[in-house]
Amino acid sequence: MREQSHGDPPRDHLTAVPAPVDDRSEADRLLVAVGRGDEGAFRQLYELVAARVYGLARQVLRDPAQAEEVAQEVLVEVWRTAARFEPSKGSATAWVFTIAHRRAVDRVRSEQAATDRVQKAGSWSAQTPYDEVSGEVEERLERQQVRRCLDDLTSLQRESITLAYYGGRSYREVATLLNVSLPTIKTRMRDGLIRLRDCLGVEVPS
Amino acid sequence: MTNGDVHALSGAYVLDALTDIERATFRRHLVSCATCAIEVAELQETAARLADGAWSVPPPALRDRVFAEVSRTRQDAPTPAKPVRPQRNRRLFSVAAAVVLAAVAATGTFAVQERRLDQQRTTAQAESARVTEVLSAPDAILRSAGSTSGVRLTVVTSAARGEAVLTMTAERPAGADRTYQLWMLDGTTPTSAAVLPPGTTSATRLITGTAAADTFAATIEPEGGSATPTLPIVGQVSVA
Repeated sequence: MREQSHGDPPRDHLTAVPAPVDDRSEADRLLVAVGRGDEGAFRQLYELVAARVYGLARQVLRDPAQAEEVAQEVLVEVWRTAARFEPSKGSATAWVFTIAHRRAVDRVRSEQAATDRVQKAGSWSAQTPYDEVSGEVEERLERQQVRRCLDDLTSLQRESITLAYYGGRSYREVATLLNVSLPTIKTRMRDGLIRLRDCLGVEVPS
Repeated sequence: MTNGDVHALSGAYVLDALTDIERATFRRHLVSCATCAIEVAELQETAARLADGAWSVPPPALRDRVFAEVSRTRQDAPTPAKPVRPQRNRRLFSVAAAVVLAAVAATGTFAVQERRLDQQRTTAQAESARVTEVLSAPDAILRSAGSTSGVRLTVVTSAARGEAVLTMTAERPAGADRTYQLWMLDGTTPTSAAVLPPGTTSATRLITGTAAADTFAATIEPEGGSATPTLPIVGQVSVA
């Protein structure tokens, strides 16, 4: 991503736009079929979600090789545990991307544990500044509803959510990066997501 | 933590921005708070929409590897296995006990491998007998959980005895100058249960005084162990 600024056409831009918003019910149908052992349905589901699973892992981890490993783990986990998906409790895409985000963040945290914590504590704040994370994300969100809704948030809400979700930061790290108290960060993450929920019209059948 | 504090964690929870201990605390809270569970479901759905902003075309080889692995991967049952309670189902428990006993055997009879001195053998045999007693206790409950760090913890607890048998299997050693340490947690208060010898990737320990423990966990620590756990937790199993 950063290396692409030197003349090579950015690869991410040569590809099809992400699946349209109404892919969700299709994903629901496919994931239910996957839960019954339908490998053909899994292959179709792969085409719907793999770019976002891989992209999310890459965004959070920053390392293409690790992102590929995590994406593979996630997609195989989707196959393995698909029978537990309950359409009445949420969408298939949310189910898949929740697993993907969790696994990517798990990997970040274990990587952090593996390196010298003291050294890391001194240097991590410089690694992925907010502007860099948000810049890449904004390019991909062009023309999408999520983008408009993110724009509706206060800057503190937007920065908190962006650093945690796309940057894989813990809320403590976010508080340090934004120089805000822990209770404030927790609250901004929550009320920011609530505002985002209302803007997107997210509903969960219950 | 007051209820108000716990509620406020829902945003950080769905963004995966909590520590493992906070996450476990929040999940326990969710079980008893229906409105929180609905809010979390909605915020989870909302957060997942953010993935639309992170797409990136995966290498073609990923597709081949995923499909190949899928074709040889058996799918899990629809619902995750619940803790097996012997009072309700003796047959299942005997299967569970067999699994643990096999795990104990596979992890190399701690009686022999890790207590080489003859004079310690008697003690070890007594401990081994107690392990068997815990595993066969009428109120024994088996729970097991793996982690993405490749650490699986399997624990059999007997509330009546206030004892547990904890088995850890890790995919890889803890690393240079590091070792695995096992903990029991009472809420967020950790008590060291065992420091494993460096290089160990599997071990079974009899743990006493487990009455207040609600979670068993493993961390990676400097050789010799630490007084308090160094985060992150690399494996945990809840017994609450």
